[in-house]
Amino acid sequence: MIETDILVVGGGPAGISAALACGRNNIKTVLIEERDFLGGQLIKQTHRFFGSKEERAGSRGIRIAEDLMNEIKKNKNIDLYLDARALGYYEEEKIFTVLQNGRMLKFSPRKLIIATGAFEKSLSFENNDLPGIYGAGAVQTLMNIYGVKPAERVLMIGSGNIGLIVSYQLIQAGVQVVGVIEAAPEIGGYAVHASKIRRLGVPLYTSHTIKKAIGNEFVTGAEIIELDRNWNEIKGTEKKIDCDCICLSVGLSPLVDILSQSGCEMVYIPELGGEVPVRNENMQTSIDNIYVAGDLAGIEEATAAMLEGELAGLCAANTFINDVKQDERIEKIKNNLEVLRSGPKGSKIRSGLNKLIKGETFFQGGRNTGSEIEAFKKTGIPSGENLRSILPDEKRINETPFALIECFQEIPCDPCVNNCPFGAITEGTDINNLPKIDYSKCTGCGSCISRCPGLAIFLINKNYSENTSTVSMPYEMLPVPQKGEIVDVLDREGKKIVSGKVVKVLKNEKMDKTNVISVEIPKEFFNVARNIRLVK
Amino acid sequence: MMKEDNIIVCRCEDVTLKDIRELIKRGYTNIEEIKRITRCGMGPCQGKNCGQIILREISMITGIPVEKLTLQRYRPPFGGIKFSEVLGENNDEK
Amino acid sequence: MMKNKASIVIIGGGVIGCSAAYNLSKRGLKDIVLVEKKFLASGATGRCGAGIRQQWGTRQNCFLAKKSMEIFENFRDYVDTKIDIELKQKGYLLLAYSDKEVDQFEKNIFIQHEYGIPSRILEPEESLEIVPFLNIEKLKAAAFCPTDGHANPFHVTAAYAEAAKKNGVTILKDTEVLGINKSKGRITGVETSKGLIETEKVLNAAGSWAREIGKMAGLDLPVFSERHEILVTEPVNSILDPMVMSFSYNIYCQQSPHGSFIMGYGPENEGHNHRINSSCNFLENMSKKATWLLPPLKKLRIVRQWAGSYNISPDKQPIVCESEELAGFYMAIGFSGHGFMLSPAIGIYLTDLILKEEPPFDITVDLGRFERRETISEPSVV
Repeated sequence: MIETDILVVGGGPAGISAALACGRNNIKTVLIEERDFLGGQLIKQTHRFFGSKEERAGSRGIRIAEDLMNEIKKNKNIDLYLDARALGYYEEEKIFTVLQNGRMLKFSPRKLIIATGAFEKSLSFENNDLPGIYGAGAVQTLMNIYGVKPAERVLMIGSGNIGLIVSYQLIQAGVQVVGVIEAAPEIGGYAVHASKIRRLGVPLYTSHTIKKAIGNEFVTGAEIIELDRNWNEIKGTEKKIDCDCICLSVGLSPLVDILSQSGCEMVYIPELGGEVPVRNENMQTSIDNIYVAGDLAGIEEATAAMLEGELAGLCAANTFINDVKQDERIEKIKNNLEVLRSGPKGSKIRSGLNKLIKGETFFQGGRNTGSEIEAFKKTGIPSGENLRSILPDEKRINETPFALIECFQEIPCDPCVNNCPFGAITEGTDINNLPKIDYSKCTGCGSCISRCPGLAIFLINKNYSENTSTVSMPYEMLPVPQKGEIVDVLDREGKKIVSGKVVKVLKNEKMDKTNVISVEIPKEFFNVARNIRLVK
Repeated sequence: MMKEDNIIVCRCEDVTLKDIRELIKRGYTNIEEIKRITRCGMGPCQGKNCGQIILREISMITGIPVEKLTLQRYRPPFGGIKFSEVLGENNDEK
Repeated sequence: MMKNKASIVIIGGGVIGCSAAYNLSKRGLKDIVLVEKKFLASGATGRCGAGIRQQWGTRQNCFLAKKSMEIFENFRDYVDTKIDIELKQKGYLLLAYSDKEVDQFEKNIFIQHEYGIPSRILEPEESLEIVPFLNIEKLKAAAFCPTDGHANPFHVTAAYAEAAKKNGVTILKDTEVLGINKSKGRITGVETSKGLIETEKVLNAAGSWAREIGKMAGLDLPVFSERHEILVTEPVNSILDPMVMSFSYNIYCQQSPHGSFIMGYGPENEGHNHRINSSCNFLENMSKKATWLLPPLKKLRIVRQWAGSYNISPDKQPIVCESEELAGFYMAIGFSGHGFMLSPAIGIYLTDLILKEEPPFDITVDLGRFERRETISEPSVV
């Protein structure tokens, strides 16, 4: 029997943060993780995070994972058990069992923090057991952990952030994404993620669902169908799409086995992804010594998971610490979580949490409607109206280079604000606000381009020469074009508009693989050219 | 018409959407009942794939919102464990 | 619409309640209402080891078990159902580890033969012909009955319930009994969470809650509930034919037709209560016991453990009778872990008892046996 003050189950963002919160306070902590490495989903998250500076917005998930892992390994109070799968908690005997190296270990913790994350939802459609049908998580694991190309032509089902991000990563891995379909009438994830794949030419079908997988031995295609407003199939709209992989990204469910086994009170809340433990604002469940954090407490982003992890860690350890400073930190985390969830994109989680935490109103405020425009939500492509709303005046356009932020959806994010050396970008007090550029301060230095997690910032030099402009854009594909190379220049839908010459390639360690390519194009295209494609 | 018998709901025990819908229509409207009759959710995954689909089907056929339905109960040990591993004898099969 | 009048209210939707409902309706009784707190087979029926055994040590158990097996063997015709009860008859192998136990088995077999149960004594080496990988260390002898076996308790219960419904029985699930109303020493109705059902007859088939139901009627029934744990493995190819069981080594283990191994043992120092949580202690002990006796099991993966409640009577034999204190109050309780395998015969016995048309089987299963000191404790219980 291994005795410990705190046992944290799950080495993802929530579990690591929980263990660190305890370890930093000199509490004896055991962290167990099923895989042979820490980081959970962070390991696969090669994209930059949204959120605020304090929560490391703008950093890639994989980098955050590296830093957290290093801290865990250095902390003497934390005993790390890798390759260790949680088996169960026997509440009456107060024994937590774990399988490691072919042996069942028995732990006797004073407090438990469960942060087991989530698993992917499944979908019922005809032939859904054909080889070639994957969950998006599996595809991401194959690509980003094992370096295996999962398929050649992928149809993505679901346009939540995972579906959009994995589509982008598939293209980075040299896989063709033949389409993203979404049953809802609008894109599920952040619109900037959708814009990214639209610029790469991926079609997006909102109000569509998959009817069946086609193929005998393996997937050779899919039949999709349009849905009406009431989610009913519209006859005659069936379409066949050729593909060798159908990738399901239809949402996540909290992985609650351990809690359900232990006898924690559970409740079904659709907004939180399904069955979740009943808990209070300190992340404590109906069983006093069990705390929860991260996706299993309600599906959200990694940033929220890290905050919840720290919160659960501090609250669980609080009986051993009794430190006023930690009480202040607890209040601060709660406040940060509230800010993170206060924008229009946080309305779902707010509504879920309000159902969960009975007797208290978890959120007083929070905005439910954003300023997005219908068409953009459906297509991921900004409308003329969107674009007019951000362009500086004619005079400024013609003067010197300027940055253009194609960000039309209120999401919690601030790296552009924090990285402008001239303080030209502001968003007021709420990180959900859209950023605004003060064009009298913008020098056109372009340092914001590689900072934007949504890859939504471009630098325009309209009068590069008498007949040409340059557009500088973020570029995360390989190979990186060379200066002087002639490339295809694409519009916001990934369609070729013209050939252009690469005049500058900015690439350094600080930019962390978001290179900035400047391409010279005829002047008329300065507000159309938004991507490049290398000519083979 | 959808071919319900071509739609797998439970991968562990090969149960189809047709099987599930027939049981619900026969009056088995509790996920634990369906689990006991079809073994859906008794496989190694303990219902992670099928559970939500079954709840949704029960809800659609009975008109009761999923929030009001009984949820399935998970049981230890999560993911399964060999007898030799419980006993700490990991020298077989190596 | 809630049915508010009944000829009898059966309390409990386990296999006993459903078998009684079916048999009563088959014999023409109308307006039967079965009330179940959760769902069918949600209690001990759905948590049991699913074995069916005829090798007993008392006359009534032998009689009831043999009779029940005949019905299991012809279940589709008898119950008129399309449901497959997954009957497997590959025997029960009972292991004896002392001379005293061998003697007891021989005595049991003598009684079993009176009822036509084809059991026999095996030398340790002979049992290897039935289970080649059995550890026969310390084994003195074994008893084997080839027609014992397994059936699926959910399917049996569902078959009874569906056939009963077809005969007009009303089955109310998610309905809890809150009280039993009496007037002038007679039952007048059953209060449920969904309203009052007027009736003059009640059958207490509440399994682990039998004592509480008795209390509602003002009766002090001599039964208690006790947690028994169990586990199941992943399914594998068929390698074990019979149920392997030992009373002294304290284990039962069988492979279901589906391929999974189901096993358990009788607990020590369990309280009398309704706990049904799983324990780490059971997982460890069971692993030791099972792999000592059947070493190849070491490689098998346990996928689930759970527990159920035995409703235990003073002599570990069922109490099936009408109350002498309260007319119209029938009970089928205290099965002590063997309700499933006896349920077909008990359903018939109850029907005879309740309808009073034909004399029931000549067995002593009434409550009065304890006062009359006519009890013979069943020696063969895990």
